Amino acid sequence: MVGWSGRRKALTILLFIAPTLIGILIFSVYPILYNTFISFTNRGMYHPNPDCTQTLTSIFEPSCWPMFRARAPKGIGQPYTVQTPFYGNYAALVGKLFTKESMVALLFVLIALLPLWGARRLNQHYDRQLTRPVSSFVVWLGGIIGVILLAWVLKLPQQFAVLMKAGDFFVVTIRTILYVAICIPLFFIVGLTLALILNSSDLRGRTAFRVIMVVPWAASTVAIMMSLVWQFFFREQGTINQLLKLIGVQGPAWLNNSTLAFAVIVLANVWYTYPFFMTVILGALQSIPPEQYEAAEVDGANWWDKLTKITLPLLRPAVLPATVLSSITTFQMFGTVWAITQGRPSMGAGVPGATELVMVYAYKQIFQTNAYGRMGAYAVIMFVFLFIATLYSLRVTRITKGAYE
Amino acid sequence: MRRSTPGVKILQYVILVIATIFALYPVWFAILASGRAGGRLYTFNLLGMFIPVEWTWENYRVMLLGGQPFLQWMRNSLFIAGVTTVVCIVVATSAAFAFSRFRFKGREAGLIFLLAIQAFPGVLALVPQAQLLTAIGLYKNPWGLVIAYTSFTLVFCTWNLKGYFDTIPIDLEEAGMIDGCGPIQSFLLIGLPLARPALAVTGLFAFMTGWGEYALASVIIPAPDSAKTLMVGMYKIANEINIPWGYFAAGAVMVIIPVLLVFLYLQRYLESGLTLGGVKG
Repeated sequence: MVGWSGRRKALTILLFIAPTLIGILIFSVYPILYNTFISFTNRGMYHPNPDCTQTLTSIFEPSCWPMFRARAPKGIGQPYTVQTPFYGNYAALVGKLFTKESMVALLFVLIALLPLWGARRLNQHYDRQLTRPVSSFVVWLGGIIGVILLAWVLKLPQQFAVLMKAGDFFVVTIRTILYVAICIPLFFIVGLTLALILNSSDLRGRTAFRVIMVVPWAASTVAIMMSLVWQFFFREQGTINQLLKLIGVQGPAWLNNSTLAFAVIVLANVWYTYPFFMTVILGALQSIPPEQYEAAEVDGANWWDKLTKITLPLLRPAVLPATVLSSITTFQMFGTVWAITQGRPSMGAGVPGATELVMVYAYKQIFQTNAYGRMGAYAVIMFVFLFIATLYSLRVTRITKGAYE
Repeated sequence: MRRSTPGVKILQYVILVIATIFALYPVWFAILASGRAGGRLYTFNLLGMFIPVEWTWENYRVMLLGGQPFLQWMRNSLFIAGVTTVVCIVVATSAAFAFSRFRFKGREAGLIFLLAIQAFPGVLALVPQAQLLTAIGLYKNPWGLVIAYTSFTLVFCTWNLKGYFDTIPIDLEEAGMIDGCGPIQSFLLIGLPLARPALAVTGLFAFMTGWGEYALASVIIPAPDSAKTLMVGMYKIANEINIPWGYFAAGAVMVIIPVLLVFLYLQRYLESGLTLGGVKG
């Protein structure tokens, strides 16, 4: 913007951003620092209280700060201290990964994913050419087939079994990644299908349908209630099974079967989230100039060509940020899963249940066994993982570029 | 644009009907449960799962008039969510304005930082947040929740508003500046009124955060009963020994309805006001 510069400008900018910055520092950055500190301590059921005479504790623990000292909790338990070695919690969580067996398994898994990376590079290469011999869809398909072939050759299920033995951490992490990988494409497909239909101008009752389709979004405010409803649909005597009985089929016990229970929490999450995708896509569809389609029709394009060559590429900038945000929230899915399955069905004693995603696992650990220190380490590992993933996707999507750059 | 053939039309309506059932049935189920006598969420009467074979206002009567301080909870939540919305819009608008209209060192890094910081698992941040609020003396104080919720929603609000401001041509404001406005004045008088859809959507999300949050509220205001927020109160009902599901369902319906009405009212803004990433043409 023109007209001013120097000290006055800097001061104004600071004034505008300061409230946001302070809020974020206190409620987002501070908890991260605090958790990082706690992750190096033995805080837990037997060491619950802060010891304000220790330098590090007195810095991180708010009740140790001079102005709040009067309110410091004075319990009877042992105070927590920094562990020796200080990385003890991390070693307990992921230590077993660093055995020869697990490393080999991890390497095999990564090798099996190489075709996807290759497909991406090949597509980028073709994008720079004037014409492409095969469409990007075919390239991706080839990549996926490559992954499946490699998975078969490298005995991937066996490698996963080895990784799973390296601790609960990997069981829940791999499962959660799988959950995200299933949910996100479903969000997109359901959202895209509905948006495309609702965007056609000659559809009767368009407004009414648009209103109906966002109802789950509004209902997600009372996620607990709606999740209980979803749970009831899939109970043994629930709606689905009673309907199945009408046509003479004995329905399965959905929530006692690990695969089916997983499918149920996917379905419930799709119900909550597709309106968001649909709305984002509808908004983006309306900004595509109709001339583009008219020009394509003159060139003899069919609807598939128009979808893959005009609509999808132009949707990309709007859909990618939504995907990034949803991936993070889906990865951190807690309330819905907790209400529907509480992590069940059980997979055996002392092992995370079949629908125990990372946050469900963390919640159980914190609030049922009070393992604060251990979970602090868990949170830090999750954070580093998601942080890197977010930064990478931001680089790919370039959504931070302003409108005038 | 394209004109659809009859076959495509039929297919479109089939998909729409299925999607409508998918979208509405769970909510409809909750409404049915709210009118069922006997305090059960569930029914084994197949017909009763789809149409109101029995209907009673008893659950609503109990929630509103007898026993439960439901109206009090609603007032608490309205206050917290309402104040959160106002504070959030003011704070986020000023930050979004700076991010969109000024060029300064660390602008892009700041935006990335805001988004990436969201990657920290929320459930695990609860303990330090609650400790902090307790330490500064905001335990059992609705203002503590207002402050916390505002900072929860700030990232989304700032990003969304910044994205929308980016789509408003700066020429308009520059014209205002030629006519003698300062940059801030021209923004307030010209830019802000144009951003109404984004403001509406952002406000809606801020409100929903305050209206629906449970975990922190249950830690900060655990008692007394009359000071609880809606969600904490509803959870309390859901955790009683003999869960009065009918009451719970009636309460849930009354919680959804206001949000639903606001949603429907703001529907026309939703598509244009949601501009994550600022990519609109």
